Amino acid sequence: MAAVQMSEAEKVYIMHGVQDDLRVDGRGCDDYRHMEIETDVVSNTSGSARVKLGLTDILVGVKAEMGRPKLEKPFEGCLEFFVDCSANATPEFEGRGGEDLGTEIANTLYRVFDNGCSIDLKTLCICPMEHCWTLYVDVLLLQCDGNLFDAISVAIKAALFNTRIPKVQMIEDEEGTKEIELSDDPYDCMRLDVENVPCIVTLCKIGHRHVVDATLQEKACSMASLLVAVTKKGTITCVRKVGGGSLDPESVFEMIETGKRVGKALHTPLQEILRKEESLGKKRHKVGFLG
Amino acid sequence: MLKSKTFVKKTRSGGVMKIVREHYLRDDIWCGSEVCDSCKQGSPVLQQDPCLESSLCKCPHYILPDTNVVLHQIDVLEDPAITNVIILQTVLQEARHRSAPVYKRIKDVIHNVERHFYTFTNEHHRETYIEQAQGESANDRNDRAIRVAAKWYSEHLKKDQKEEGFQIILLTNDKKNKEKAEEAGLVAYTCEEYIQSLVANPELVDRLASTPDDVNEIESGKIIFQEHLPLSKLQQGIKSGTYLQGTFRSNRDNYLEATVWVHGDTEENKEVLIQGLKNLNRAVHEDVVAVQLLPKDQWVAPSSVVLQDEGTTEDDEEEEKENSLKSVVHESMLKPTGKVVGIIKRNWRPYCGMLSKSQIKEARKHLFTPADRRIPRIRIETRQASTLEGQRIIVAIDGWPKNSRYPNGHFVRNLGIAGDKETETEVLLLEHDVPHQPFSQAVLSFLPKMPWSITEEDFKSRTDLRHIGVCSVDPPGCTDIDDALHCRDLENGNLEVGVHIADVSHFIRPGNALDQEAASRGTTVYLCEKRIDMVPELLSSNLCSLRSNVERLAFSCIWEMNHDAEIINTKFTKSVINSKASLTYAEAQMRIDDTSMNDEITRSLRGLNRLAKILKKKRIEMGALTLSSPEVRFHIDSETHDPIDLQTKELKETNSMVEEFMLLANISVAKKIYEEFAECALLRKHPAPPPSNYDMLVKAAKSKDLDIRTDSAKALADSLDAAQVGGFPYFNTLLRILATRCMMQAVYFCSGMDTDFHHYGLASPIYTHFTSPIRRYSDIIVHRLLAVSIGADITYPDLMDKHKQAALCNNLNYRHKMSQYAQRSSVAFHTQLFFKSKGIINEEGFILFVKKNAIVVLIPKFGLEGTVFFENKDKPNPRLSFKEEIPTLTVEDTVFRVFDKVKVTISLDASNVQHQKIRMSLVEPVIPGVSVSPQSNCNSEPDAKKPKLES
Repeated sequence: MAAVQMSEAEKVYIMHGVQDDLRVDGRGCDDYRHMEIETDVVSNTSGSARVKLGLTDILVGVKAEMGRPKLEKPFEGCLEFFVDCSANATPEFEGRGGEDLGTEIANTLYRVFDNGCSIDLKTLCICPMEHCWTLYVDVLLLQCDGNLFDAISVAIKAALFNTRIPKVQMIEDEEGTKEIELSDDPYDCMRLDVENVPCIVTLCKIGHRHVVDATLQEKACSMASLLVAVTKKGTITCVRKVGGGSLDPESVFEMIETGKRVGKALHTPLQEILRKEESLGKKRHKVGFLG
Repeated sequence: MLKSKTFVKKTRSGGVMKIVREHYLRDDIWCGSEVCDSCKQGSPVLQQDPCLESSLCKCPHYILPDTNVVLHQIDVLEDPAITNVIILQTVLQEARHRSAPVYKRIKDVIHNVERHFYTFTNEHHRETYIEQAQGESANDRNDRAIRVAAKWYSEHLKKDQKEEGFQIILLTNDKKNKEKAEEAGLVAYTCEEYIQSLVANPELVDRLASTPDDVNEIESGKIIFQEHLPLSKLQQGIKSGTYLQGTFRSNRDNYLEATVWVHGDTEENKEVLIQGLKNLNRAVHEDVVAVQLLPKDQWVAPSSVVLQDEGTTEDDEEEEKENSLKSVVHESMLKPTGKVVGIIKRNWRPYCGMLSKSQIKEARKHLFTPADRRIPRIRIETRQASTLEGQRIIVAIDGWPKNSRYPNGHFVRNLGIAGDKETETEVLLLEHDVPHQPFSQAVLSFLPKMPWSITEEDFKSRTDLRHIGVCSVDPPGCTDIDDALHCRDLENGNLEVGVHIADVSHFIRPGNALDQEAASRGTTVYLCEKRIDMVPELLSSNLCSLRSNVERLAFSCIWEMNHDAEIINTKFTKSVINSKASLTYAEAQMRIDDTSMNDEITRSLRGLNRLAKILKKKRIEMGALTLSSPEVRFHIDSETHDPIDLQTKELKETNSMVEEFMLLANISVAKKIYEEFAECALLRKHPAPPPSNYDMLVKAAKSKDLDIRTDSAKALADSLDAAQVGGFPYFNTLLRILATRCMMQAVYFCSGMDTDFHHYGLASPIYTHFTSPIRRYSDIIVHRLLAVSIGADITYPDLMDKHKQAALCNNLNYRHKMSQYAQRSSVAFHTQLFFKSKGIINEEGFILFVKKNAIVVLIPKFGLEGTVFFENKDKPNPRLSFKEEIPTLTVEDTVFRVFDKVKVTISLDASNVQHQKIRMSLVEPVIPGVSVSPQSNCNSEPDAKKPKLES
């Protein structure tokens, strides 16, 4: 992943600052950087969102397509993740350079959502065993400036909130042949309940303390970090350690507690902003990619 | 300004796709009115003082119809009286989506400058574009878009206008839409209200199509027919096999009977018989319908009764008639019988026919009897019944409610007095679906600008053959000359023969309106005194016509031949020629025969003639057939344009000379294009007829103790040549006429879609049409293919698409067939005119066929064929006995055989105005009670207007 070159003195400076709850950009240890969210940025998706966190820039598109339910879950729809690391973000991603990172993030996302309550997959079922909606969540990294996971999870939540799936009906005639009928009103569509979609909070262990939303410089100072996926109610759906160093059990507990607290605090303003944006409707001034 | 339109669509594989289209809005779309100063338009379409005078709206106004008005009342909108109409893009798009023919018609009206129809692209106008609101259906949105545009127009014009009261009138038949429009302060009327209010044009009311609402009010509540099933149910039924889909074909002679020709590959149940009014269930000839088979015990046999719908019958009487169909027959005669349960696609077109005026005085509802007996009578509403009586008119069907005995329709157009030459020509063109309207502006716009001349550019890519002594040989009076020939000696002792064909594909570029029109027309139709051109006259009679002493573009096929007419090499090239002479067949013949003439052209003709004879001999050795059909020419009176005399066409040596080289060119080109484009060459084939077709020919010849062998074309040709009867010179021709009747139809096809290329009649393994591009569209395609193969022109995707080409071939075959039928009808009509003026004539003829109760007689002098019936309604039938083995019919004691000479009287039967026909009755041999006495008196009084019919 994109890394920065730092001298020992710089690292010491940052570590000492963290020790005193004072970070290079003036934040406290539990503070996020400024975050920008815009939904409905790609018109030919079912739902999309773009999130900027510092210089980190993430675009997420959700596409709903009709497919067959998995054999083991005949009454549920599917959720698929794919992460594309654009070479725009860093030249290292050129060619297949970003593939490993992309797979890693996608796998993490599968684990984060692999539970019954994040998204109610049963609502995506159209006809048991035969037809269901598959949501393809495509993540595009446009710029990396640390804390990818958090930004991605927020973007996914926003995009799922924005997703509109056309309403379909199964019509069955006397002979038992089923046909799918589509409503011709483009406004007649299904929304997803994103209440329980978790956000990921990444906690970086720096010295004896840990920080959220680490910049690339801070990351360079950290040996190990912990991903905590927290829902609005504080339920943890996934915990994962990343990085080469080790964490002692006590600080793991501490970090999980912080993650829970920060995560819960993150959900409330996010939901509010999304709702506000939607209520503007057509009057909303679109920023898009040129703004 | 950019907007995006989003909609979801079901894909073929069953998935759902979201489609986003970008939509740009502009502020430079002008209103198109002369009244307006603020729009920066060049030449406004809508006039300052629209001249429509309506009692509803005193001030000047423009009309703005909604989609349904355009779709259903296109007949009214097409009337030249209606001008200054705004057609919104929304309306146009919806019309295009829902009915292609209506779309084409409204487009044609819009193109006509004199009509002042203006298309306003409201969907791209910044102020009139609207997005579909939540909970609004697509139709509601379009209605709203129309209202918004109407509103915009009325405000826009109000703003710009100096004087008071310029109005926009929204025409809509939708009650809700009208209410909403009035709420929004618009002036809205239904189409009926508005048309009725037109002061100057009361006759337009007749052309209104009846809308379902007012039909319900008038009709009695009695339900005659079963409800049609909805399309979705029908499709399910067809899928599961409970219903069959097929084309509905009414019986010409019995209005209570029809067959449905079932589509599909399975051999069984190909045809389903439908009998009785209720089972026919409002299907009209040519509709695509769904039928349900009845249980086997209800199956019936086709009846042989002739039933004409007289229209006045009551229901119980009808049932009686229906019962009369059900005679007891042998079980083997029973046919699969069914009933129509629903209509999949209506194939209604405007029908020609005549009005049967209602008995009740001042009634406004009348029945209309179409000329085509397969079409039911149509109820129309008109106030001009007395003026329309005795006229040929066109009527369109609007609908057929289940409580109505007849379909409802409306009057479209008056063609003229029945029996009048022009009217009847129009009728036969319409009935044979021959497109004969003048070429539209859009088509004419693709013609070259006059004065036209050959440019330097043209010379660069063409061979200059202007110095060669080329000449054309055609029938007298021919103005569309598409071929010219030359022949000259080469230094090596061989001969150079060139066939030069008008280069029509140079003028008609693929894909433009001119090309599309020509492709749709397919062929030029030659009627007795009229020619319906495939391409506009500027091309057909001038720029493409290879007239003498002008430089013309040509596509040349040049052979090097030795003196035995063997081809040494073939060259195709685009060229420029200058024909030295346009000759008639007779003139060319004279030059060849006149030994004193020795100029370049004459020598060239002699050379061609000599080679043609060798070619013909070779061709006949290969097994080519020489067939015969009686063809006649009319001598037309120069003032009255009535036919005054008939003459059978005479064939000269030069006819066959030209023909021989055309065949050679066609075959050479066919080989070349097939070599180059094995998948998409357009060829022509003539399938060998099945042996059973020859039965009647063989039997007929046997009666004269002659043996006709039909195992190969060669054998047939040889045995036809050998068939001679002493003292009966016309016999051989008669035999050839019979042989012609056995043949199959030659058809165009695409080489990639077929494997059998053989042309039976010409005995050629491959054949196409190359030599008449002015009058046949197939030749244009062949020209294009050939041009691509020699690198003289570029190709285009449709040319190489074998499926598109197969579709084109289907249309060409259809048009070709229809044009032949139209031609025949035209000859028949002129023959009738001729006999009308001649009165009753006695003439000698030969028996061509012997039927169970009649003989078919051919009169060689007129090339006329007619039937002599031996059964008569009013008289007791004579004793008839028919033997099938050697077809003979014995009437009383007289035996009739094929080829027997008989004498008949010919007269015109005008008892049915719509279906006049030639009637023949037997004079000799005399059979008491059957034959009639010769009517010689009429010959001496040619003025006798009314020939006695019943003698």
